[in-house]
Amino acid sequence: MNHMQLTTRIGTLDLQVDANFANSLIMISGDNGAGKTTLLRALAGLAQADGQLSVGGRIWLDSAAGFMLPPQQRRLGCVWADVALLPWLRVEENILLGTGSVDGKWLAELAELFEITPLMRRKPHMLSTGEAQRVSLTRAIYKRPTLLLLDEPFSAQAPAIRQRLRLCLQSLQTRLHIPVLMVSHDTDDTRALAHEHWHMREGKLLTALPRHSSPVGNPEQKVANHD
Amino acid sequence: MLESLLISLQLALVTTIILLCIALPLAYLLAFKSFAGRTALEVVVALPLVLPPTVLGYFVLVMMAPDSIIGGAWQSLFNRSLAFSFSGMVAASILYSLPFAVQPMQQALRSIPVSWLEMAQTQGLNMKQTLLQVMLPAAKGGVLVAAALSFAHTMGEFGVVLMVGGSIPGETKVASIALFDMVEMQQSDQAWILALILLAVSFVMLSLVYTINRRGLDVSAGR
Repeated sequence: MNHMQLTTRIGTLDLQVDANFANSLIMISGDNGAGKTTLLRALAGLAQADGQLSVGGRIWLDSAAGFMLPPQQRRLGCVWADVALLPWLRVEENILLGTGSVDGKWLAELAELFEITPLMRRKPHMLSTGEAQRVSLTRAIYKRPTLLLLDEPFSAQAPAIRQRLRLCLQSLQTRLHIPVLMVSHDTDDTRALAHEHWHMREGKLLTALPRHSSPVGNPEQKVANHD
Repeated sequence: MLESLLISLQLALVTTIILLCIALPLAYLLAFKSFAGRTALEVVVALPLVLPPTVLGYFVLVMMAPDSIIGGAWQSLFNRSLAFSFSGMVAASILYSLPFAVQPMQQALRSIPVSWLEMAQTQGLNMKQTLLQVMLPAAKGGVLVAAALSFAHTMGEFGVVLMVGGSIPGETKVASIALFDMVEMQQSDQAWILALILLAVSFVMLSLVYTINRRGLDVSAGR
């Protein structure tokens, strides 16, 4: 079990979360400004936070002891709203950036899964927004991360491909057996595949229920029931 | 005339190469770090823009005097004077062209999208990899502009090299000083040619700068 107990203030947002999370697929929903992205950034170590964080049996943050593992050493897979592909590198080179020896078989398999095989030799400016997002997903997963952080990873995808990507993400999570935290707005579909569903409001985690015990319906109502 | 041109080119080339190595870490510091004395450092770097070259030249000359620390050390190391030597001119030119090297690089580094630097972090790139694989390629335009401006500006020096170099034919007499001498001695044909050559060099260098700047804009727009 992984554990986070994080607090941070950024602007008007006052983030306070305390939760255990398994190596499962966790969906995070909430309104704009609820702190979803900030939570992912704090988990990545990109946003300064106080508290404790341990992932994969390793301590990433223990602010009381003055310890913070830098993002470089956390072996993260990240997809942000800004896909940040380097324009002078080809798609393949972008995916391999910062990784050691090339695992051609794994790379080819992922490229096939994320439907970017024909794009591998292209420069980012020749990609559509949706294609660039799938490259970013491939880059995040190729390195076999210990934690996968996805901020609306399918936002630029057409409905048809979206469903295929969800299933593919689900099977990859099972294979890699790592925690996947995914911010998503398309509640209905993504909840179907997520093992857990967290809802955030004003920087707080309101629900952290396993899928099977959570009633179908508006997550806000669930919160009201708990209070 | 040819001799003085060669000295100018040599001076500009050596100065530019050394200057880039010194200016890059300075530009990095000024672009990304906040520290005590940051403003002071920025002012010192920018000083040569507004200082009369003779003032800069005078201070450099004083520092290079055989009875000063730097000048004395040089004298005992190499058994010759730093003032009125080619090496002395290089040192003075580095100071004189410092802002032209630091400022374009500082701007280029600062305009790198934060998301790229964060991506480098989460992809596990260390400092050196980030510098070589993300920052320098992204700031390539700024580095080229810095090189072109430093080169052109060093070619165009007059006051500083006259003070520090002393216009010794074959060693420190650069093209701009040779031109001054030609005019004084009324060698107007030669003066014309030399002036045109210097004009052409500056024109080419500035054309390069503007071409890079236009292309650089396209890159930062995500192209």
